[in-house]
Amino acid sequence: METRRRFLGRSGKVLGWAALAGLLGGMSRRGFADEAYVKTSPLEDGNDLRLPHFAPKAKRAIYLFMSGGPPQMDLFDYKPNLASQFDKDMPASVRGNQQLTGMTAGQARFPIAPSHWPFEQHGQSGTWISGLLPYTARMVDDLTIIKTTNTDAINHEPAIMLMNTGNMNAGKPCLGAWLAYGLGSMNDNLPTFVVLQTKTNTKENNQPVSSRLWSSGFLSSEYAGVGLRSGADPVLYLDNPAGVDRDTRRKMLDTVEQINRQTMAEIGDPETNARIAQYEMAFRMQSSVPELTDLSKEPQSTWDLYGPDAKQPGTYAYNCLLARRMAERGVRFTQVYKRGWDVHGDVVGVLPILCQETDRGTYALVTDLKRRGLLDDTLVIWAGEFGRTVYSQGGLTQDNYGRDHHPRCFTTWMAGGGVRPGITYGETDDYSYNVVKDPVHVRDFNATILHCLGIDHNKFTYKFQGLDQKLTSPVPAYVVQGLLA
Amino acid sequence: MIAAKRVEIAVRSLWAQPRARQWFLVLGAAIVLFVLPFLIHLDGRPHAEWLEFFGRFHPLLVHLPIGFLVLLPLLELAGSTRPALREAAGFVLQIAVAACVITLAFGILLAYGSGVSGTTVTRHMWAGIVLLVELLVCLIVRPPWAAGQVRRVYPVVLAVTLLTLTFTAHLGGSLTHGSDYLTRYMPGPMKRIVGSSSLGSDAAYVGSVYMRSIHPILDAKCVACHGSSKEQSGLRLDLYELLMKGGKDGIVVKPKNPDGSLLVQRVTLSPGDKHFMPAEGRTPLTPDEISTLRAWILAGASPSATTVQGITLAAANADVPFEPVGDYSGLMKDIRQMQQSSGAKLVAVSARASDGLILRTVDVAATFDDAQLARFQRFAPFIVEAELGRTAVTDASMDTISKFTQLRILHLEDTAITGKTLAKLSSLSHLTYLNLSGTKVTSSALEPIKKMPNLRHIYFFDTSADSGQSATTADVTR
Repeated sequence: METRRRFLGRSGKVLGWAALAGLLGGMSRRGFADEAYVKTSPLEDGNDLRLPHFAPKAKRAIYLFMSGGPPQMDLFDYKPNLASQFDKDMPASVRGNQQLTGMTAGQARFPIAPSHWPFEQHGQSGTWISGLLPYTARMVDDLTIIKTTNTDAINHEPAIMLMNTGNMNAGKPCLGAWLAYGLGSMNDNLPTFVVLQTKTNTKENNQPVSSRLWSSGFLSSEYAGVGLRSGADPVLYLDNPAGVDRDTRRKMLDTVEQINRQTMAEIGDPETNARIAQYEMAFRMQSSVPELTDLSKEPQSTWDLYGPDAKQPGTYAYNCLLARRMAERGVRFTQVYKRGWDVHGDVVGVLPILCQETDRGTYALVTDLKRRGLLDDTLVIWAGEFGRTVYSQGGLTQDNYGRDHHPRCFTTWMAGGGVRPGITYGETDDYSYNVVKDPVHVRDFNATILHCLGIDHNKFTYKFQGLDQKLTSPVPAYVVQGLLA
Repeated sequence: MIAAKRVEIAVRSLWAQPRARQWFLVLGAAIVLFVLPFLIHLDGRPHAEWLEFFGRFHPLLVHLPIGFLVLLPLLELAGSTRPALREAAGFVLQIAVAACVITLAFGILLAYGSGVSGTTVTRHMWAGIVLLVELLVCLIVRPPWAAGQVRRVYPVVLAVTLLTLTFTAHLGGSLTHGSDYLTRYMPGPMKRIVGSSSLGSDAAYVGSVYMRSIHPILDAKCVACHGSSKEQSGLRLDLYELLMKGGKDGIVVKPKNPDGSLLVQRVTLSPGDKHFMPAEGRTPLTPDEISTLRAWILAGASPSATTVQGITLAAANADVPFEPVGDYSGLMKDIRQMQQSSGAKLVAVSARASDGLILRTVDVAATFDDAQLARFQRFAPFIVEAELGRTAVTDASMDTISKFTQLRILHLEDTAITGKTLAKLSSLSHLTYLNLSGTKVTSSALEPIKKMPNLRHIYFFDTSADSGQSATTADVTR
């Protein structure tokens, strides 16, 4: 609805843009065009948005999102004492008055299911890693493992929204959109924020992920994540239709832009500017995306490292390789989604598949960034939306068990620019159920990520609905100093 | 007795002459002024706050005598044709003396009240005293000059006074704006003539635990007040030798005895304690920093040891502190023009201009060649990172790059660099990161740059220097 306040507010904005456009008149489209991109660099911005606040350790980030909730006690959070407690009841005091999900709340008992897999110590740091992750084990000295990440939500949608946008309700911008808005693009030819989805495996329990997770919320839609498809055509309808050459397309876009500018002048919706920018980006992507996805010039060492999966578009390893190539080409934020970690049952059957699909790609990405000198200023993040219960969901047998959602503690890790390598942060209790020492709430986790990228999360705000909105609001959040290099 | 009597008579007869009496008064005033610093001893401790309250007007008041004194010679010169101005000059001189007395008094209040000390402060004070004495002399020698009796003395004294003023004011400016305020933006060739350099005598300890872990902590948390420009409590922590020397309260580092070391004691007091350091609500040391200090002192507080038990690898690898680059905001117009014409961008590292600029070529990499790079040379003093990966730059560009003296990070990956001319980069003393992956460099070409003190990360993945085993990254460790 068009309210008086909104109309006036918008008119003010239009006048502002017009004035600014006048000031910057004559500048080329590249960089800081008349629509006053916040994009290129803080040099070009008004006084209210000068970012990064301080010299960042990381220029870019790659977020490997393990959707579904990986079971921390089967991968990272080693609990040797549980072996002797097989099928014993988890003490009621551990759970306290916690409300469980509908999937296990009705269970008569909560039998402890020790991890099926052996753990071993690895690296100079002597970090315990499950036998399921032989590749991750090789790079523990590069990782900053957080055993005490915790969240407020116990079900997928609110939890994954909280993890990505800092809020359980939809409508807030995600981390990548905030970064795109605040730090801007490092290159003109590829999107600032790219989302890569991994093809699903029907053996796994795939929870849906949706564009809400890479939405720009109340920020301009320019800052939303751009999804690249896993097939032969990474961006649909990007190529010119048959019979249309690049010059014709250019002419067409120029005319459309003129019309759009008229619309902008008449109606004054900033989204029109976003649309103009997106048309331009799409035009440039006609040549940049084929170059990005052309892996023919990758040396043999790449395939040795990432393994044969990486040659198949849509696999996790392929996405990891693309993430590295995008890091090289100036993409600010890449988020790789891998679904299927929601192991309510048949952990012993499914978890090895999940690890086999992801372990090598993850290792290859970190190692590749490191050997190419990119890990110094790239932050890699590995996380899901929550963890899983130590007690078995459904029947516990000697050979198999299931695990329900668990928000109170779960393991995540970071690596690269800004974080301290080779440490394990935080302690959980004997049941990997409660945090004993150094909790890291999702908001603290996000505040720390922003810090690595040179942003003070408390100063990074956007006025919307009468509030100074921020990624870490509304409850106070803290940068976790113990994670920083 | 007779001798004493004679002296007395001589003095009396001189006193009877007004001119001699004036000289006596000036002499007396000079003696008082010269003794003043010894009476009001600048002991490096802060005193009553009201002293500092008034003292802080010193930087404001100081402009009065400066203004008057700059006006004085102009009036004297103009007075040769317009007598009324010469008469005014006499008055201006008098109020200049009065303003100088007040300014000096407030200056001493400031120094004494705030407890600031250091060579610059001391020099500034002495120069101010000398200036006042010279002004008093001017006061005496001017009337005979104005009357046309003595021609040379007053102009000479006035000239000396103005020189003293310049010197004093410069020292004062260095105290408030920093000692490199004038030289920071000086063009390179001029700098070389002036010979300005910022290398301390700690250069010999490069690579040691002290330089990598201890010095950065002190630099970040302590040196603002305990450094070369300010020397609270007579203590300086910016150089190893001075750290070990201690300050007014004695030695601050007792090797092998961290708990007995004042340095550790002061930073571990409760933050409310009046002796707690860093003072005045500045950021306290983190627990990690304190334990690093302890570990280093426990191990003997050596300036050159390269390993110390208890200081973790990560801490030992901490980045060496960099001097901030100058403020480029005055060049914004040129920077914009450059971006427009070249397509390569100059991007701010952060909102703080002193963090410098990044040269970003990713959008035009394929066409960004040696000539393009050379065009950015004029911004070299502000460029701390050059992203030249995948560009068309060649070995010929090493000459240009060697002039980017503030460069900390240099990307040359996937270029046609062969490494023949890499030795030219040796002059880049701030360089910590060099990426040569995917180039034609050979291991022999890397030899000269491996000796560079701060260059800790050299990457040469996928080159002939890359031995092909798992450790393809060279984190050069010393």
